[in-house]
Amino acid sequence: MKVTQGQFSFLPDLTDADIAKQVEYALEKGWAVAVEYTTDPHPRNTYWTMWGNPMFDLKDPAGVMMEITACRREHGGKYIRVLAFDSKKGWESIRMNFMINRPEYEPGFELVRAEGPGRTVRYTLRSHSTAAYPAAS
Amino acid sequence: MNKISDVKITDMKERYKSGVLKYKQMGYWEPDYEPKPTDILAVFRITPQDGVDPEEAAAAVAGESSTATWTVVWTDRLTDSEYYRAKAYRVDPVPGTPGQFFAFIAYDLDLFEEGSIANLTASIIGNVFGFKPLKALRLEDMRIPPHYLKTFQGPATGIVAERERMNVYGRPLLGATMKPKLGLSGRNYGRVVYEALKGGLDFTKDDENINSQPFMHWRDRFLYCMEGVNKAMAETGEVKGTYLNVTAGTMEDMYERAEFARDLGSVIIMIDLVIGYTAIQSMAKWARRNDMILHLHRAGHSTYTRQKNHGVSFRVIAKWMRMAGVDHIHAGTVVGKLEGDPNVIRGIYDTCRENYTPQNLQHGLFFDQDWASLKKMMPVASGGIHAGQMHQLLTYLNDDVVLQFGGGTIGHPQGIQAGAIANRVALECMVKARNEGRDIWNEGPQVLSEAARWCTPLRAALDTWKDVTFDYASTDSVDYVPTPTAS
Amino acid sequence: MNGAVESIDLAALYQSSNIHATMHALDSDLVGLTPVKTRIREISALLLVESARRQLGLQAEPPSLHMCFTGNPGTGKTTVAGRIAEILHQLGYIRRNHVVAVTRDDLVGQYIGHTAPKTKEVLKKAMGGVLFIDEAYYLYRPENERDYGQEAIEIMLQVMEDRRDDLVVVLAGYKDRMDTFFKSNPGMASRIAHHIDFPDYAPDELVQIATLMVEKMNYRFSDSGQEAMRDYIIRRMQQPRFSNARSIRNALDRARLRQANRLFAGRDVPVSRADLQTIDGADIRASRVFTQ
Repeated sequence: MKVTQGQFSFLPDLTDADIAKQVEYALEKGWAVAVEYTTDPHPRNTYWTMWGNPMFDLKDPAGVMMEITACRREHGGKYIRVLAFDSKKGWESIRMNFMINRPEYEPGFELVRAEGPGRTVRYTLRSHSTAAYPAAS
Repeated sequence: MNKISDVKITDMKERYKSGVLKYKQMGYWEPDYEPKPTDILAVFRITPQDGVDPEEAAAAVAGESSTATWTVVWTDRLTDSEYYRAKAYRVDPVPGTPGQFFAFIAYDLDLFEEGSIANLTASIIGNVFGFKPLKALRLEDMRIPPHYLKTFQGPATGIVAERERMNVYGRPLLGATMKPKLGLSGRNYGRVVYEALKGGLDFTKDDENINSQPFMHWRDRFLYCMEGVNKAMAETGEVKGTYLNVTAGTMEDMYERAEFARDLGSVIIMIDLVIGYTAIQSMAKWARRNDMILHLHRAGHSTYTRQKNHGVSFRVIAKWMRMAGVDHIHAGTVVGKLEGDPNVIRGIYDTCRENYTPQNLQHGLFFDQDWASLKKMMPVASGGIHAGQMHQLLTYLNDDVVLQFGGGTIGHPQGIQAGAIANRVALECMVKARNEGRDIWNEGPQVLSEAARWCTPLRAALDTWKDVTFDYASTDSVDYVPTPTAS
Repeated sequence: MNGAVESIDLAALYQSSNIHATMHALDSDLVGLTPVKTRIREISALLLVESARRQLGLQAEPPSLHMCFTGNPGTGKTTVAGRIAEILHQLGYIRRNHVVAVTRDDLVGQYIGHTAPKTKEVLKKAMGGVLFIDEAYYLYRPENERDYGQEAIEIMLQVMEDRRDDLVVVLAGYKDRMDTFFKSNPGMASRIAHHIDFPDYAPDELVQIATLMVEKMNYRFSDSGQEAMRDYIIRRMQQPRFSNARSIRNALDRARLRQANRLFAGRDVPVSRADLQTIDGADIRASRVFTQ
């Protein structure tokens, strides 16, 4: 399966030049850009591991690209995403989120159904990857 | 018309003599009045009956929407009536439309109960719309002061928290209304939900008239829909939702349905505008308590929003709904099959999404409006839109909107999943191109055809709907057009 | 580019790049510094020709642009770094016209694991433009073998090599100390392509600088003020810790203070616009420089 979180998961993988342009868009808006990675892309896994703090006050995407290269070198087999943070009043949240790296094989999720009275079903999603990386989940 | 003077009578003996006075004489016309920052302001489009003076008509609207009745009553003198009287303070002719006027009226804060749309509207649009001296009356806009706004909860979730819950940032959300609207069994209905979400949409939606009919009872629908939602989540790794319509005949039924939706793990429920303002406010409070996104379908609004001379402008409804506390509101598409002049739509979208909207007559906004940090409402664009319009939709409506392609998903020649893929690819490639600095307004069709080269579902969608446009003049347009200035 | 094009109009290229305006401003705004200006002109010519070559498809490694500015304090190194950024930006060698100026404290941390993130953060902020490191030799402290400065140097070297298109590094400081620094850091020395020496200003140049500075502050020297300034400069140059233009700036700040006190003391008489603008001989001659 393919995890399709983020802004551009339905497009062909972004090249470094594509990524730099998106980062530039974020920097022009005055947003801080961050790189995060994980082995567990569960849709409710909000907090991926931060590859350093969000980068503030950058003028040029090259600085972000440097961190992306470094993060990929160390975590090439994992999911990596780029986030942009907006500190403006009324937002103070994430404004961009796109994946720039994913494992060659994506193990996906198991949908566990617990049946209750009156035909109700409680659903649980389990990441298959947590079996491969029990400590990292 | 009788010849008696129509200026405000200040001699108390004269003023409270039994009989009938003009509204202006009673004091509802105060051209020198300076609205207080705490006043609620309203602007009405009035069409007086032939021979009725517009100032008198404005005064009548002020009177009938506040303290007045048709005759003088001595019991006014037991009150500080000067204070409670609404004041018509300005009348402007409508540009280019003889016989119509904009009447500006100020209402003191004390005329209204805190936190009640029902009370606010019982005054402002209560009796006055049937008032005989007027041929027609339309509420165009309101200024709600922060003092009053702060007595309302506002959107249960708001745009920021909705995005954080859905884990979707930097692009419009995608949805689809299930079709056919009526007749599908629960099992068949859930299939459509699953296919559309699996294909790439974020949301699917019940239609406004799907409640609990013989062909599909609500519990059955909820159970099958949630199976579709969870299965699509497992197969995409994305958070998905389906607006489960909890509209019902009584509040008790609505609460029961909402609670069931919550217990099944749904992130969103839906109500229709026709349930009424109080029911909407109750559901908004329930949604805040239960961390639920609250979608509002504006069923019925066109009966009073569409005609320009009579009724209530939709931007006022949008204001009331933001106060009442819904998270989603259908607010027009500009390019689709339903009413929507670009300037009017812009005014409505700003009303939903901004923290401060300055006066902008060209967008139909008559007042500066400070939203006092009430959360933002996500506008929903729905009705006759398709992937081929993506560049126009993104330009007109920007990122914070749910684009709902019902027919444009389910009617795809290669199936529902393909329809969803086409929409998602069209959206992502357009956002990417815009962020890269491309001029999508002009290059949009080219951006789409570049993506269609590698995305067959998009190619099929573009081929199928390439000639579909809804190019009719809008009935609700703005009266102020930009005048070119000599530079 | 089409392979058929066999000639390039260098003059037109020069015009279209806008750098002639920047070069002209360099000449007119900055007093003296003739050898510096000459070197900048040479580098600009190199880059302009390089652009022409690129247009004709003559591929070569992009020229290394990392530089070292040596000279005493107050000789205009920081100012020139700003101008260099402007020129490199106009010629398309850097993407942003900006300079991030730092010293050792911005790059080197206090404890293990602190330096790498600090250095990287500075590098990331400077990316696309010019990183100016003043008194760069403080990065290297041979007397302390566990000094984290070495770590910062290594990270910088890596970036200077790997991301040549993204960053121009300018090291600056006293000439003799920079020489020692390069001897102990051959890696750094080999990556610096251009060494530019900033000479001390001659007394006449400093007077000219002082005149420009007071004009910018909306003051002017009276005749006696002008003469006193010249005397001041000649005396001050002989004294310790003289730092060229910076010393002039400080002297002028003190002169303004004395002028203000002089006007305030005579407040019984109304002051004219001219009075408020004039720095007199007395305002300068009260300096300790004349009594020491």
